[in-house]
Amino acid sequence: MYDVGIIGGGPAGYVAAEHAAQKGLKVVLFEQKKLGGVCLNEGCIPTKTLLYSAKLYEYAREASKYGIAVSGVEADFGKIMERKNKVVAKLVAGIAASLKKYGAEVVNKKVTIAGQKEGMIQLQTDEQMYACKNILICTGSEASIPPIKGIESATFLTNREILSLTQLPNTLTIIGGGVVGIEFASFFATLGTRVTVVEMLPEILGGLDEEISVMLRNELSKKGIVFHLNARVTEIKGNEVIFEKDGKTESVTSSALLMSVGRKPVIHGFGLETLGVEIVRGAIKIDSHCRTNLPNVYAAGDVTGFSMLAHTASREGDVAINNIAGYKDTMRYQAIPSVVYTHPEVASAGLTEQECKKQGIAYKIAKLPMTYSGRFVAENEGKNGLCKIIAGQRYGEILGVHMIGNPSSEMIYGASMAIECQLRVKELKEIVFPHPTVSEILKETIFEL
Amino acid sequence: MATAVIMPRQGQSVETCIIGEWLKKKGDAVKAGDVLCTYETDKASFELTAEAEGILLEIFYQAGDEVPILSTIAVIGQPGENVESFRTSIPGEEKSAQESKKTEEKSPSSPAGEKDTPSPSVPSIAEGATISPRARKMAEQLGIAWQTIKGSGPSGRIIEKDVLEASETQPRMTPLARQIAEETGKIPVSTQGPGGMALHTDLGDAVYPASDEFEDKKLSNIRRLIARAMHESLQQSAQLTHHMSADVRKLLAFRQECKKAMEQGNSNANITINDMICFCVIKALKTMPEVNAHFLGDVQRFFKQVHLGIAVDTPRGLMVPVVRNAGNLSLLQLSIQIKNLADACRKGSIDPALIQSTAATFTVTNLGNYGVEMFTPVLNLPQVAILGVNTIIHRPADTGNGVWGFVPFIGLSLTYDHRALDGGPATLFLREIKNNIENWNEKIE
Repeated sequence: MYDVGIIGGGPAGYVAAEHAAQKGLKVVLFEQKKLGGVCLNEGCIPTKTLLYSAKLYEYAREASKYGIAVSGVEADFGKIMERKNKVVAKLVAGIAASLKKYGAEVVNKKVTIAGQKEGMIQLQTDEQMYACKNILICTGSEASIPPIKGIESATFLTNREILSLTQLPNTLTIIGGGVVGIEFASFFATLGTRVTVVEMLPEILGGLDEEISVMLRNELSKKGIVFHLNARVTEIKGNEVIFEKDGKTESVTSSALLMSVGRKPVIHGFGLETLGVEIVRGAIKIDSHCRTNLPNVYAAGDVTGFSMLAHTASREGDVAINNIAGYKDTMRYQAIPSVVYTHPEVASAGLTEQECKKQGIAYKIAKLPMTYSGRFVAENEGKNGLCKIIAGQRYGEILGVHMIGNPSSEMIYGASMAIECQLRVKELKEIVFPHPTVSEILKETIFEL
Repeated sequence: MATAVIMPRQGQSVETCIIGEWLKKKGDAVKAGDVLCTYETDKASFELTAEAEGILLEIFYQAGDEVPILSTIAVIGQPGENVESFRTSIPGEEKSAQESKKTEEKSPSSPAGEKDTPSPSVPSIAEGATISPRARKMAEQLGIAWQTIKGSGPSGRIIEKDVLEASETQPRMTPLARQIAEETGKIPVSTQGPGGMALHTDLGDAVYPASDEFEDKKLSNIRRLIARAMHESLQQSAQLTHHMSADVRKLLAFRQECKKAMEQGNSNANITINDMICFCVIKALKTMPEVNAHFLGDVQRFFKQVHLGIAVDTPRGLMVPVVRNAGNLSLLQLSIQIKNLADACRKGSIDPALIQSTAATFTVTNLGNYGVEMFTPVLNLPQVAILGVNTIIHRPADTGNGVWGFVPFIGLSLTYDHRALDGGPATLFLREIKNNIENWNEKIE
């Protein structure tokens, strides 16, 4: 008998399993593929590994700007992919070791929910039945494939297959200009692929601050990426993607096609139906304690369809375990950081200006170019960026922080902390930032408020 | 030469007056006879007129201040004249300065030199309890909803130690939540922030209202006196109440006769049920002198005359004027006197000597007109008993010869001081009143 059975070993599931074991709960984690889930095997980690290679390649090519003469710079696609595999393998092994260390049982098998019996949920593998007081569903998500004409016979890649390419494609068309599409666009364009992005919305990276999205798009255009905005794909004919834009039909032909229009929760194929868990718009509905409509069934991560980010998933898993262990914990989404690991990086946390307007929140705003940071100027020859801080009009509480410029990804946690703790401009002005760092841009911008 | 404006004496018993409103302000030119301000005693409001001509050079007391009589409250003179010599002669000011100094010394949280916030501007959290400025500052720094803290200082005042203790058990608030809590008076009702911190969304309806949701008013003199008298009465005596009711058919019939006589122009005697009850009470008091008495600790004072106190509700508060030598009055005389006294109270023209609690030997308070069926009147010390008169209720009763019907009964609630009177005599006294009511035999004069 287990205190908690966890289905899915991604960032929600494995973090939950670790924390559950640390708290002394008897926990079993089921993962039929590799530990780490999409994030570690097909998402965050492999793409960041690739993007780092691309960034080094770019630095090497631009080294002369910094007084370094480098010749014969070459990107070896095969070796880049090889290193990516090595990094992933190392981290997967690390998770397994960590779970073992804390005493969480891991079952590398497919599991099915068989039903409830005497208050226990029965989880069935081909060998054994596991009786669990609680279960935590962390089955994640998969790339969603839109019903475009000709898609059945088309050859396309998703985030999974594109990571297994052995040769750099000459041309790449990406349907969907979200985070996944834009990061791959940045990577392949840097290595020399001619990339075209077809986005249905008026701007890439929907949900991000519009001003920053535009700045990033302009930077990426300099790498040769072609963007088609407001473009609705109507048909795929072999290598040709046909789309409508401004009432006209256009098409783009490429050697590879990436489908990155979004992701959908995995709610089928493991017996979820037997429990009667409430599903809303294809995702498991949870409350602020990550509990479903059933008292002993929890869900965390992409399967909840709410914020499809690995770090959200991990925190949700943590919240679920805390509640199972009897500590009341609440999931908060208002300060979840969001990062695009392009070069330059984009990072944000909290509300955007557009969201403030939509929600009728009175706000004030301050923004400064990244060049106000000495460190940024020293390390980003000829580059610029932006730091934008949104605060409540009346109390000056930090509502949102949006940045473009390296290394925004490493600085955004500070904004999350400020938003989570509801710090005001007043408090932040009293915080000492290390000098010289790019993070000082936050302090400089705060003083503009 | 500058002239002092003095708070006049109003009757022998009045020690302080409260300034109502200043009609002239500092710097105004005034003529003799101009109304400078209004002030009130426990019984009435008066106007204070200027006795000299000149400029109102200084005002020492503001509206709402309680001022000892004969204090200098303002100065009239010519521009440039020194007013400071008048200021020093204010006995009340010296006294209050001394008192506040004493408070500062007593309160460990208010070190000398720190300016204390005047109590009216501090939202009160319990009866009379406040927070020391120092503790308040600490509460704000720690993000503690101090309104919920129980104070351990003098009079329940919240001191630093209380805030520190509370900080260990109360949720911390985020800076935003804290600011909003301070502005709205809301308090954390849940904790959904990091580490159990309360977010602004965790703030809920305040147990104590925000400062813009109430108004603090200084007590009027009469309210102060009532508060003190009532509190002392309950603290210092052993009072309890017996309830009994009396058949009032005869009183009602007499009341009808009076009305009829008035209608026919045969009489001016508008005798009310209350007048009749008082008459019955006086009659009973004459037969039971132990009730017509004051309890004075070591001695009981038995009165040879009945001086009947009548509780009167006035817009300014409760007053109890006394009908002196009531035992010598006819029913009509009594009725007229009661009406006159009540009118004087309502107009504020009552002689202060007649509303002293020591002036009456017994008191009647009537809530029957308001439909009250039973209550426990509070003794007007040092009197040993007080009768509460209730409303008339029809009850089933034997109307004679085994015939049952509904009969009007009036409720009588006698509160007495058990230190002075035992239950037996108290009950006998009630019975005596009941008998007088039920055997009413007066004639219209």
